Amino acid sequence: MARTGANNSAILSQQLLLSVTEQLKVPLLQIAREAEHGQLSGTTDPVKIQLTAESALQLIDNYALGVRLNLEQSQLEIEPVSVASVLYDTGQQLDSVAKSYGVDLELNIAGRFGPVMAHREGLQAALVSLGTSLIEALPALQTKQLTLQLATHRCRYGIVAGVYADIEKLSSETLRQGRRLQGKARQPLATLTHNSGAGVFVADAILQAMDLELKVSRHHRLYGLGTVLQPSQQLQLV
Amino acid sequence: MAHMLFIEPDRKLAEVYAQTFNESGHSTQVASSAQSAILAVDDQLPDVIILELQLIEHSGVEFLYELRSYPEWQTIPVVVLSNIPPNEFDSSHDLLMNELGVRAYHYKPRTSLTKLLSVVQEHVAVKA
Repeated sequence: MARTGANNSAILSQQLLLSVTEQLKVPLLQIAREAEHGQLSGTTDPVKIQLTAESALQLIDNYALGVRLNLEQSQLEIEPVSVASVLYDTGQQLDSVAKSYGVDLELNIAGRFGPVMAHREGLQAALVSLGTSLIEALPALQTKQLTLQLATHRCRYGIVAGVYADIEKLSSETLRQGRRLQGKARQPLATLTHNSGAGVFVADAILQAMDLELKVSRHHRLYGLGTVLQPSQQLQLV
Repeated sequence: MAHMLFIEPDRKLAEVYAQTFNESGHSTQVASSAQSAILAVDDQLPDVIILELQLIEHSGVEFLYELRSYPEWQTIPVVVLSNIPPNEFDSSHDLLMNELGVRAYHYKPRTSLTKLLSVVQEHVAVKA
């Protein structure tokens, strides 16, 4: 039984790796064509190439972090973390990617929530992964507004942190089906993204390592992906 | 000079393809989905369509079925430029090439801009 579990886990990690390698083709292709266009026209845009390369590096880093956190799950440093501060830093990290895809980034951290228990680096990497996936998909989704909102709100089970956009077709079924098809289909999230959706699955793996769950959620009239975090009890002792 | 329709969901790639073809004297239009591509064809008949098969919601194959269902659009040359390696379409080769009228299948990672320009030139020349 344990062996089957280990095999399943190995298969799952291979599927994630496959998904990441497929995804990496996109920025590498963008760099190759941009460089070739520069040669043909004599006008290379080094900033464009730099941003694209950095987004590829980001994906690799987040994937590696996901693997590392899963391997070191028992020693994970879960600590009180400010969601507002994580979302702010996520926004900073996503800013240039969003600009390069013509997507407006909004930060909605209006609620005053106390700290939550999380692995800060992991939470931020998961949100950056999700954000990048949605930013890349938004221009092709025929949405009315090219806007991505990083937001937090309180729900019955805790504090939600997530990325939201005007994507009505994003449902829990989309995510469930995507998880089933990850590594087996070229487009596991066919109604959400035209590529392998690796960013979503990397975020899923990172959150799983922190004992959190990636969920489809709503923020006002927007649809998105996020996770429910537990408020830190430590503060209540103060 | 030809009028090209690129059906490409990736914004950055679409931009670089369109820019390259515009600079080579062609006019271009970009559609990021199957639905918007049908509207684009209706808006201005392209001389050649360059099609990615991996699209959001409706695939490139669904687009082809829709396109070819209109008699006046049955002869528009379509060149597939996809991230899906051609060997994965071996079993559907007849469907794509014969039934859906795809003129050529190119694997995106191995197709340079120069190659794409020459492929398009070939199909525009055939049409002329």
